[in-house]
Amino acid sequence: MDRSLKLQIYRNMILSRRLEERIAELIKAGQVGGFMHPGVGQEALQCAAIAALRRDDYLLYAHRGVAYWVARGIPLEKVLCDLAGREGGTNRGKGGVMRVVYPELGVLGESGTLGGCFPIATGAGLSIKVKGGDQAVLCFFGDGTSNRGTFHESMNLCAVRKLPVVFLCENNGWAVSMPTERSTAVRDIADRAKGYAVPGKVVDGNDPEQVYDAVVEALKRARSGEGPSLIEAKTYRLWGHWIGDPDSYRSREEVEKHWRHDPIPAFEEKLAKEGVLTDSMRSEIDAEARAKIDRAVEFMQKQPSPRPDSALEDVFA
Amino acid sequence: MRTITYAQGIKEALVEEMRRDPTVILYGEDVANFGGIFRITSGLKEEFGENRVFDTPISENAFVGAGVGAALTGLRPVVELQFADFLFTTGDEIVLKAGMWRYGHGGAYKIPLVVRCPSGAAGVGPEHGQCPEAFFMHTPGLKIVSPSNPADAKGLLKAAIRDDNPVLYFEHKLLYAAKGEISDDPDYLVPLGKAAIAREGDALTLVAISAMVPKALAVADRLAKEGHHIEVIDPRSLCPFDRPAIVESVKKTGKIVVAEESYRTLGVGAEIGAMLMEEALEYLDRPLRRVAIPDVPIPTATVLEQFVIPNEEKIYQACRELLA
Repeated sequence: MDRSLKLQIYRNMILSRRLEERIAELIKAGQVGGFMHPGVGQEALQCAAIAALRRDDYLLYAHRGVAYWVARGIPLEKVLCDLAGREGGTNRGKGGVMRVVYPELGVLGESGTLGGCFPIATGAGLSIKVKGGDQAVLCFFGDGTSNRGTFHESMNLCAVRKLPVVFLCENNGWAVSMPTERSTAVRDIADRAKGYAVPGKVVDGNDPEQVYDAVVEALKRARSGEGPSLIEAKTYRLWGHWIGDPDSYRSREEVEKHWRHDPIPAFEEKLAKEGVLTDSMRSEIDAEARAKIDRAVEFMQKQPSPRPDSALEDVFA
Repeated sequence: MRTITYAQGIKEALVEEMRRDPTVILYGEDVANFGGIFRITSGLKEEFGENRVFDTPISENAFVGAGVGAALTGLRPVVELQFADFLFTTGDEIVLKAGMWRYGHGGAYKIPLVVRCPSGAAGVGPEHGQCPEAFFMHTPGLKIVSPSNPADAKGLLKAAIRDDNPVLYFEHKLLYAAKGEISDDPDYLVPLGKAAIAREGDALTLVAISAMVPKALAVADRLAKEGHHIEVIDPRSLCPFDRPAIVESVKKTGKIVVAEESYRTLGVGAEIGAMLMEEALEYLDRPLRRVAIPDVPIPTATVLEQFVIPNEEKIYQACRELLA
């Protein structure tokens, strides 16, 4: 990873963290409705993986946080308008913040049912193969979602047809209130790759460089026609499942312990040691993020609600 | 004009559309090497290659959902389910993905997907013999067609493949061998959402769907001999549904029977009845009659199956009752 890529990933991590903090404030103040599943603690892997994509690749993000959209370059004000259910977003109030969509950047949208993403990703991979391109698909999902039957069917179908899909599991230890060790028979979800004769790799999801390298390798394999890969990025969900989650199902000690591995200070320290990031750059990047968010919030607040009868539009093309 | 079978109509539609448009692909269980369990797709892999015509594992969720993903990204997939009943194994992909992905994402994408669904009771029991169209009429975002003859089988499938929306294409297993005349026009299309008057008359409106249409025409012949000239309407598409065609007919006849191979409760006939209550009650001089499957699963043994499936006699009796 070169210096500018490291800084790009770092900037996106900061922008994502600040944006979620701001969204939490807006929701708690009752200024916007809607559900937001925060990704605080998981930004490193999300930003690093997406940095490995080409502009013409396809992305199926998961429901955890804003970093996917930030890293892919979707304008913040559009994300906020979707959150608020206003005009000016990407889905005209139809899908909320969980269905941010951006065809120009290959962002196909989101499945409201967990695991609904896998067959869609498989189909995007199929399209690439039929048309003969060298694009690839990156499909994020959580540890809990790896227990859907669609995971098995899609991994197998991608493997037998050698489809260019990279499956990236964010194992954050919890599916709402269900810890991974109680929901999932294997310790490493990456082990399941063996069942489909595809590479399965565990990486530290809080280390952007490990994630980036693994995704680059998997994308290379996908582009060269060798088929899918499974990457498991171990991480932790530092906030609740949604903004407002009483989070009563895990011990404060456990959460505190993981805050000490928050990927943002860890990456800052590393970049500082390498001489990539100075204190003044750090403040600048933070101030820049806050200013961008202010502008986006202001834009969102000026947008009208959709026309009520537009609820009847967009069913059919 | 030529005479072809319903199965040939389906195959010709597939071949013509695949020749016409390289983004049309076809896949499903046993469709490529074997040519499909109903042998509709034999020879297609040889003509179009394994990249466009291929077999899938037994993974309906993955391959139907992949049809949606492929449609979002520029292909026009035709996915074959071995039996219409298997739609239930892939409910998320059909209802929530094919039906609602476009809407949920504010119209950002089109979903030009066709799912072929062999339907109908044929001695194959409760999980291979249903006509489940009505289930999917209840969900927004899906177009639904059920052709009853070779010309419609071909014209509706070609129109479905060219449509930018997901279409469930129900092909009745007992109609595969049915023969009929068809035009040689390579662009012979039957528009989705347009009913056909299969036989004109003014004594009674008999709405019949899919394999009920030939039975309804036989009933019409029998009634004609008795001096009653009934009108037979074949909706062909169940979504969009050609409501005016039925309302207009009822204005003329004042009586209506609906014959369908679905379950009675909330079947197609129930929807037609509700629609007529709203739009044409004053024209009805007798109550609506439904000939449908009583609310039981479809049994396998022929004697049991034939007891529950609407046949000519049951349709005839329902008509006679209203004509009395």
